[in-house]
Amino acid sequence: MVQARQRITIHPSPFYFPATDYLTGEDTVDVGILLQILFWGIYAGCIYILLATGLNLIFGVMKIVNFAHGEFLMIGAYVTATVFYFTGINPYVIILFSMLALIAIGAVVERLCFRPILGTGKLNEIFLSIGLIYIIQNGAAVIWGDEWQSVKSPYEGITVPLGPLTIPLDYIIIMGVTAVILVGLYLFLKETKTGREMRATSQNRKGAMLVGINVERIDVLSFGIGCALAAAAGTLWVVSGQVFNPYMGSIPAVKAFAIIILGGLGSIPGAIVGGLLYGIAENGAAYFLGGVWKDAISFIILIIVLVIRPTGLFGESGE
Amino acid sequence: MKRSEKLSVFLVIVVLFAVLCAGCTQQASVSAKPTEIKVGVIASLTGPASNVGKNIWQSAQVAADEINAKGGVMLKDGTKVPLKLIVGDDESTQQGGQTAATQLITGDKVDILVGGYSSAVTYAYEQTIADNKVPFVVTGASSPKITHTTDINTSYIFHHCPTTDTYGQYTTMFIDQIVRPAVNKKLNATADRPFRLALIYQNTAFGQGVQTAVNETITKNKLNIVLVSQQSFKMGESDFRTPLTAIKAAKPDAVYLAAFPNEGAPLITQARRDIGLDTIFLNVENNDNAQFYKDLGQYGEGAVIESRFSPYTAPVGALADAQSKFKTSYTAKWGTAPDMMGASTYDGIYIAAQAAGNAGTTDKAAVKQALVDLSMPQVIEAMKGGTISFTKDFRESQFDLWMEQLAFDQTLGECRPKIVWPDNLKVTEFVLPSWYKPGSA
Repeated sequence: MVQARQRITIHPSPFYFPATDYLTGEDTVDVGILLQILFWGIYAGCIYILLATGLNLIFGVMKIVNFAHGEFLMIGAYVTATVFYFTGINPYVIILFSMLALIAIGAVVERLCFRPILGTGKLNEIFLSIGLIYIIQNGAAVIWGDEWQSVKSPYEGITVPLGPLTIPLDYIIIMGVTAVILVGLYLFLKETKTGREMRATSQNRKGAMLVGINVERIDVLSFGIGCALAAAAGTLWVVSGQVFNPYMGSIPAVKAFAIIILGGLGSIPGAIVGGLLYGIAENGAAYFLGGVWKDAISFIILIIVLVIRPTGLFGESGE
Repeated sequence: MKRSEKLSVFLVIVVLFAVLCAGCTQQASVSAKPTEIKVGVIASLTGPASNVGKNIWQSAQVAADEINAKGGVMLKDGTKVPLKLIVGDDESTQQGGQTAATQLITGDKVDILVGGYSSAVTYAYEQTIADNKVPFVVTGASSPKITHTTDINTSYIFHHCPTTDTYGQYTTMFIDQIVRPAVNKKLNATADRPFRLALIYQNTAFGQGVQTAVNETITKNKLNIVLVSQQSFKMGESDFRTPLTAIKAAKPDAVYLAAFPNEGAPLITQARRDIGLDTIFLNVENNDNAQFYKDLGQYGEGAVIESRFSPYTAPVGALADAQSKFKTSYTAKWGTAPDMMGASTYDGIYIAAQAAGNAGTTDKAAVKQALVDLSMPQVIEAMKGGTISFTKDFRESQFDLWMEQLAFDQTLGECRPKIVWPDNLKVTEFVLPSWYKPGSA
């Protein structure tokens, strides 16, 4: 049954208002449209959540700042696209392969790059990760070329009625996949021995070593899982019809950093709430203030939150 | 005067004489007959505009190969010298553009520059061009600001591509004369029904230039077109769902996009697939690009592109053979199809060669004057009067444009264009697709 959309008349705002009826001069907003914007915000938030959760997991355990995290999202996107082009397998299935591939790649990067400089100072980590950005981007450009690419989902064109909205099936699957991955991560961290060791290392590295936890194994594992979460984000980016190229990861990585600072360094619930908040805020800003405010609004929120609560929404002092 | 003072005066005279002689020697070397013509090509080989940038650079090489295969650039004394191309990657950024221009001018010491795609990026290094007085044939950046700005001395800059003013006006007139009557006919509406146009533009000099042109064309010509929504996005954006939702809420009859191909294709795809915005999408000429057709797939059906060179069609007439030859050479060399910005740059290399040849020297002031005085037959793009020359006021060449409409080809799995306007070039009529949904009645 099609529901009638409730219309609310709003007085002219000082901002550029996209729903102005230019013929009558009346500013109107449709509740259905607002729900649609909210939906796009949640979709964008899903990508951010996966990226930021991975980054937070790595930071939480190893306390390293990896600016090249967006590049793992990009590699994840290319791995999925490449497997899809050659096999035609459903890209939602390829997400598992992409995540496994990135666990392996992440483990190699951790062993070769980050482990040797662990504890030698933040500047080393920052410059190493900035160097990795260029190496990985150029490597990807050599392997896959730097043309923009896209992948078509097998479910494109299928829509699902959801209250007053008609939503493409892909976005519902994307939200479902994100939820499943997050629940899986939660269960892994909460219910498995390795997960508990990972949390212990995150809380007190020296203490973890004293009770016999192999923190180097935990480092490589958490770096790999963090990269796998970025790969999942890259796959969902690709499946949702967004174009990608070797340079796509930089901006999402900056936003992921803003999200983990907003949510609280090392806090996975903070990354989830922060990611959703950013996705919704960005799309709300694009609608109410114009597209140029899309990126800026995230950092405005970050500044406001940090002024009020310097440790972030879910952070604890000392991080 | 003491002896020492006399000696000092003598030494000063000797030094001054030596300096003058050195100056004369340098002048003589500049004016001497060149042994080669060095052309710097500024293209976005990396970054968001790399798809088009590569096309620009590869097309330049096709032109240079052809010129060198015929012996090189013919100087006015009848001798020929080779044409050498050097590329500078602007990385699709303003900083990258400044670095590339500086390297080409001061490091590689090129005689003339060709290229430039993003208007914002190109504008960023115009001061470098002005400071060094190097002739520059801009073949991609379409903001009129490129040669109209008064902040920088642009006398060495020549614009060989239609400006946003030109094609923004052209497309708006097409909407008024062709699309508006078609929509009225579908709705059985009277001719006085205002046409509801939405605009979504890249928030750069290029996009804002199109926005200004559309607004001014409507106002100046008192067109019965209402801009029901004007949305902007940042360069390189890939998620357009929210501005498209806002546009859909405004119930447009058509949407005009001022976007690069890597933005335009996902924009139309997201509009039709995710938002259900089943309308006519009008595109700027830079989207006449093979990757654009590939990325669009079936969602390009019914879309319109303002154009002057297409990888997949050509107007019947004198230029058809020349365009076909270029496409064949390009595809043979690079394995892909050339695009419009490539075609402009191909023209640009021929313009640079002609100007250097006419000047008979690599002296930059002489080459600049040769560009001012240039009058050469059109190469592969249709020019007003069949001649390439630059206007005296803003040094802009004048193009003949056309509008193409895309139809989906099941066999290819991609859309292909056909010229629908103007009357003297069209091969078929503009049609509203069966799925088309107009704005409110």
